[in-house]
Amino acid sequence: MVLVGLAAAGAFAWWEGGLDQSTTAAHIGVLAAIGVAFAAAVVAGRGRQRQPSLAWVRGPWSLRRHLAEDRTGTLGAGVWVSLTLAVIGWDLNSFAHQSRALPTLSGIFGHLTASHGGRAATVALWLALGALIALGWRRAR
Amino acid sequence: MAEGPLSAGAALWWIIGAALVAWGVCSACSPRLPGVLAIPRWFAGSWLGRVLALCAWGGAGWHLFCQRP
Repeated sequence: MVLVGLAAAGAFAWWEGGLDQSTTAAHIGVLAAIGVAFAAAVVAGRGRQRQPSLAWVRGPWSLRRHLAEDRTGTLGAGVWVSLTLAVIGWDLNSFAHQSRALPTLSGIFGHLTASHGGRAATVALWLALGALIALGWRRAR
Repeated sequence: MAEGPLSAGAALWWIIGAALVAWGVCSACSPRLPGVLAIPRWFAGSWLGRVLALCAWGGAGWHLFCQRP
């Protein structure tokens, strides 16, 4: 089952990688992958989520408790948050200025996805991330 | 992306990328630090987080593979 899924994802990534981004087939392929990811998340996740949404939203805000319980881990998480904010902030700044001297993140990815192989590899990574988000870290039944 | 010599904007992307890689390696070497997978794992902690992450993932895919000029 897993091997069939991996083979199908690989074939899809290669097929999608050969399409131009303006074609209807490319759009349908991406929309179908998004639909499959949402459906898989619902089917695989019923009754297997680790915590309720409200507790999840409240979780990060008790910073003092996190620091007391695990200082190193909390500071490490802070570094990830800072780096993520740096990526978002610099991308927004580059997008707002619309200058050739300030490339945006999607412009950089555009160079990667210009070739069939590069686009297929990026699609494959995107599918892997989607599968991880949709299916990963569930509670055992 | 700018042609020729590295622009200031592209240089900052290299610095941010290098910092991400360096911190990813540091956190992979220390079991006490949260690694790069801690980010999707945290979002997958509840239905709300999982749906938000899937929406961001879908939007990024649509932008990268269907929209980017």
